[in-house]
Amino acid sequence: MSTEITAGGKPFIHRHSAHCESGVTSALFRDKGVEISEPMIFGIGSGIFFGHLPFVKMAGVTISTFRSQPGAVFRKSAKRLGGKFITSRFRNPQKGMDELRRVLKTGQIVGLTTNIYWLSYFPNRFRFQFNGHNLIALREIEGGFRVSDPMLEWPVDCPTEDLERARFAHGPLEPHGFMYYPQSIVLKPDLRNACIKGMKDTCNMMLRIPLPIFGIRGMRFLAKKVIHSPDKLGFQGACRELSSIVRMQEEVGTGGAGFRYMYAAFLQEAAELFGSDDLVLLSGEMTAIGDIWREFAIVSARIIKQRGQSEDNFDKAGGLMMICAEREEELFRNLRSVVRKLKA
Amino acid sequence: MKANEVPQDITYYEGKKRACYALNDEGKYVIVPSSGWDVEAVVNGLAVDEMAASLEVTRQAVLAGSKSPLCYHMELRQMTPEILAKTAGIAKFRLKRHLRPEIFAKLKTSVLDRYAQALAVTRKELKTVPT
Repeated sequence: MSTEITAGGKPFIHRHSAHCESGVTSALFRDKGVEISEPMIFGIGSGIFFGHLPFVKMAGVTISTFRSQPGAVFRKSAKRLGGKFITSRFRNPQKGMDELRRVLKTGQIVGLTTNIYWLSYFPNRFRFQFNGHNLIALREIEGGFRVSDPMLEWPVDCPTEDLERARFAHGPLEPHGFMYYPQSIVLKPDLRNACIKGMKDTCNMMLRIPLPIFGIRGMRFLAKKVIHSPDKLGFQGACRELSSIVRMQEEVGTGGAGFRYMYAAFLQEAAELFGSDDLVLLSGEMTAIGDIWREFAIVSARIIKQRGQSEDNFDKAGGLMMICAEREEELFRNLRSVVRKLKA
Repeated sequence: MKANEVPQDITYYEGKKRACYALNDEGKYVIVPSSGWDVEAVVNGLAVDEMAASLEVTRQAVLAGSKSPLCYHMELRQMTPEILAKTAGIAKFRLKRHLRPEIFAKLKTSVLDRYAQALAVTRKELKTVPT
């Protein structure tokens, strides 16, 4: 945590967060005087998800995701908390940068969607062409901007050229200089109602999407695929697929199955809010599931590192994922029946 | 995950730390900064090594004269022809022609400048690869 002054002379408190989007959204709310934590935004915005897209390939491997699509957490949580946001996209990069400068001069901090490759303050090995990273611009400084990136411990300086390239990068999910800032925010939002909406939505997304690649069904699908992958792709190819799954779990998200832990943190906070013991139990169960996901990552890394020499094999990795699917299904079914009993 | 189980394996993030949610002694979730995890180093290392290896293959191909330097710089920026074509504002089929060394050698400076701008390199750098 560290304090920074915005162009309007107001102090801004930077908090280290686990996920970029929920971190940025909660910081925008806090800046307006609504004290709300990152897991709370993550839960209300239904950030937890699972999906495996066998037909989308990035650098030769298929994509699996452990979170909802980029932008959804911000959109949903803002709506459920009754905040009105001004959002804009631009065709012309110059206009996009001018508008950012204009808004910053009024003392307003601005959330931006960027491409992580062009943000040079990240370590080189984390810079991939990924167009869904969010950060907050605090104020203009000479030759650049002061930005608060929730993934980092402290606010940093970002050169203008880098930021312009990052905001107007091309490729899948083009950001088009997407920027957002609050217009009006309800100072005492109805947290209980928002939590219930968020949890219900999450249960529906995990359990009721009638496609085999999303939610719990997606997990089972992927687990089976992992078990059969060495026969189909050969050892090397199977390792690449497995490493991309773990990378999505660890890197393009948060450290160590972080989304599961963050959702457990949300359930814990919600349990306090509602005074519900059921939610405390579910939070504990979610933590246990997160631990299995970590176990899966450890087993996968061992397979890749030891080239199949140890007793760890693809059956074991897929089996762990199957256990995760089993337990998450039970958890979300229980959550659904608990939520029905909660009163807004 | 308990707070004391948060991995502090290596300084893999080049001194930067990443936030993890973990349970403290009272069973409450708190943010604990992590300095890196071996598992992550393995899986990320595999991807990084693969990219470095394919970049090296391309560099050799450029030196051998079977690919243009543009191809190297495109891969260095982890771009595909689609992304680069859009960034530089040049049609994809034209760009794919420019990946051939004999066609690349004849390009006008105005076209080269657009590539240089899109790839954030100077025009001189664009025409060469590191030896």
